[in-house]
Amino acid sequence: MSDTLTITIDGRPCACEPGEYLYDVAERNGIHIPALCRSDAFEDHRACCRVCIVEVEERGRRKVVTSCVYPVERECTVYTNSEKIVEERAVTLALLAKRAPDSETIVSMAQEAGELDGFDRLITLDGEKCILCGLCVQACDSLGTGAISTVNRGVDKKVSTPYDKPSADCIGCLSCANVCPTGAIEYTQDATSRTIWSRTFELAFCERCGNLMGTREAVHRAAEKAGVEEPRVCDACRKKELADEMMQTYRYV
Amino acid sequence: MINGTDRILVCCGTSCIANGALDVADAIEKELEARNLTGDVRVDVVRTGCSGECEQGPVVRFMPRDLMYYRVAARDAKAIVDSLDGAPVKKLLHRRDGQFFEHMDDNPFYALQHKVVLKDVGIIDPLSLDDYIARGGYEGLKRALAMTPDEIISEVEKSGLRGKGGAGFPTGRKWRSAAGYDEWPKYIVCNGDEGDPGAFMDGSTMEGCPHAVIEGMIIGALAIGAEEGVLYIRDEYALARDHIQHAIDDAYEAGILGDSIMGTPHKLHLSIVRGGGAFVCGESTALMASIAGKVGEPRAKYIRSVQRGLFDKPTVLNNVETLASIPTILRFGGDEYAKLGTEKSKGTKVFAMVGKVKHTGLVEVPMGTTLRTLIYDIGGGIMNDRPFKAIQTGGPSGGCIPESLLDLPVDFDTLTEYGAMMGSGGMIVMDDRSCMVEVARYYVDFLCEESCGKCTPCREGLRQMRAILTDICEGRGRAGDIELLERICHTMQDVSLCALGRTAPNPVLTTIKFFRDEYEAHIDRKECPAGVCPDLTRFTIDAEACTGCGMCSRVCPANAISGEVKAAHVIDPDKCIACGSCRDACRFDAVETMRRMPA
Repeated sequence: MSDTLTITIDGRPCACEPGEYLYDVAERNGIHIPALCRSDAFEDHRACCRVCIVEVEERGRRKVVTSCVYPVERECTVYTNSEKIVEERAVTLALLAKRAPDSETIVSMAQEAGELDGFDRLITLDGEKCILCGLCVQACDSLGTGAISTVNRGVDKKVSTPYDKPSADCIGCLSCANVCPTGAIEYTQDATSRTIWSRTFELAFCERCGNLMGTREAVHRAAEKAGVEEPRVCDACRKKELADEMMQTYRYV
Repeated sequence: MINGTDRILVCCGTSCIANGALDVADAIEKELEARNLTGDVRVDVVRTGCSGECEQGPVVRFMPRDLMYYRVAARDAKAIVDSLDGAPVKKLLHRRDGQFFEHMDDNPFYALQHKVVLKDVGIIDPLSLDDYIARGGYEGLKRALAMTPDEIISEVEKSGLRGKGGAGFPTGRKWRSAAGYDEWPKYIVCNGDEGDPGAFMDGSTMEGCPHAVIEGMIIGALAIGAEEGVLYIRDEYALARDHIQHAIDDAYEAGILGDSIMGTPHKLHLSIVRGGGAFVCGESTALMASIAGKVGEPRAKYIRSVQRGLFDKPTVLNNVETLASIPTILRFGGDEYAKLGTEKSKGTKVFAMVGKVKHTGLVEVPMGTTLRTLIYDIGGGIMNDRPFKAIQTGGPSGGCIPESLLDLPVDFDTLTEYGAMMGSGGMIVMDDRSCMVEVARYYVDFLCEESCGKCTPCREGLRQMRAILTDICEGRGRAGDIELLERICHTMQDVSLCALGRTAPNPVLTTIKFFRDEYEAHIDRKECPAGVCPDLTRFTIDAEACTGCGMCSRVCPANAISGEVKAAHVIDPDKCIACGSCRDACRFDAVETMRRMPA
């Protein structure tokens, strides 16, 4: 049985287990720390955006840490809005706002964190929304698809399919687009097809109700992974069909 | 008298090879053959690792007579062999201020050095295990095999050895914490991914004495209980990799590596992993990711590598130079090693001294040696006796140190107090014709390419700093730029994910701190005081100082200089690209720089 610790966050005492991440302790106690690249789904992928920084005072020494991956090991005092954190978070968000000027989320977060006036001088990447948090790549990897990854390094880093060509591995499932915090991954869709990462996918519809089930590739991959036959109907209709069968079977009982 | 004990050491380090050292060695061998000096009465030619004074290479040395020749060419072979038992070939001797030096230790470049890591480099044949053993190699390991892990670690702790890759973490403490984890397997990893511009300490050590690194790794493995080790070697270091592989193979054959180290039940298996070609892979967590076959990106390090490193197992990662210091420590004792150096930085440090210094090369000195001793006494001062301006230490993580701080002792802590750092040992000496803003821009530009790009402050901060610094160098600097740079720098220092990003601002911050006037000249007056930035500089020739030698027009890549022989030359401003070649070539200081733009 591990000993419960009590730490102080912004003057409030908070109980936690040793090894718990500081961000989680704060959230549980209703203290909100802004974060962009953090997702409960991907514990190994964190600490990229550096927005969730806080100041930790331990044994008389203060240091800036990223709360999403900082394990609480001993009693400490945490400041989520110290002068230093306010300044450095504002600079970090301003840098992101200049990188992704077309993302309303980022620009408004940056404005909230501090005036952007002081950063007029900085260059902007026109038309960009991506903040390179890498969540899309994680989502794609977790599904076992691995169609996209970060390519290049340094300032030229970006998310893309291999050689920027349509990827044979992509199934058009939209997981990447759905997990993106800034809506940077664009796709188009009409009555019969969807286009994402320069590849067009035929859509699959439920034979019973006509609702969209996903792309043919995604439906196929899901069935393949589950080891079942490729479904012709959607989940809701499959349940309905099952219920109907049951009704038939038991109606005279 | 030639009696069979003579050896001719031909430096075959990378630099000397590039200058034809292999041809020199072949030519000398051929000459010896022609004189029947290859039989019972023989003279052996030994192709050694880097002997240090690279700029004077290829270097040839006679042992045991200790006669040293510099800038040797294959055509000198006959004269060299003639001098085996005769008078030295004067034109090949080291010359400094009109004086000739016959022996290595007379040469001030070597006289002030103290070699521990490099003690066998340049003397032994790196491909010969016998050569290494003859110089006391693997004696340290023998002692370690008779000790308990705790005793080995205590010896290293006593030595005060600190990580020489730049961070300076106490090696003994690192080993002790790794030894303390009850989780297996454990790994020992050698960081040979040296990547700072101008640095070649680790490469030369691996090339010149690969067994020292291997011996250090075996001792480390015994101390922490590792049975597997990896040497992560920079991809560009082909020669170092070959020599290490050769040494590993020899060590297996001799029973020094493998399932029974020197007949004991201890095991260690070593293998080489070629670096991924990215500077950031020298960072410990990125390096381990790279070994594991993942993208070389760092991770947050709140849980340290000694607990969860390679393949999430306890791992000790030491730099080449640190590991190569271990055999000496075990052989002669930690106390002996701790006699060298300063109170908090023990032992020696290897530096790769390059740039505008007269004698460049690989030097090893006790910790605490001053920069002035390094530059002026060992390096012989600034090329062409121009004024010293700055020394850049520690590569892209380090800073520029001005004249006023040259008497600081070089150790792990002192330079850090001044915002620079000793780093892994790269040193670039700069004279008054170096623009400090341009230097900062260069390093930021380097890191823009070499940052992994994972975290915001490093990637985006570098992008913005490069844009601002480029603007300043090209005459578009604005009031407030210095303060904005500082603001970005401070955030990068605190918020970046790994040491690369946290130290990336150092070149910018130190140049602002020590050369702020130069930034202001660029921004306020659109002037580059050093006459380097092409957009701010115009070159003219002082007609009175010009002798009409024509050197400037010969080196001008734009054909912008004209003039009759022995008459003053003129630069055509429309053709001039302001590269500065004419100014470097002129021996009469007749090329002057002026401000290009109106203020």
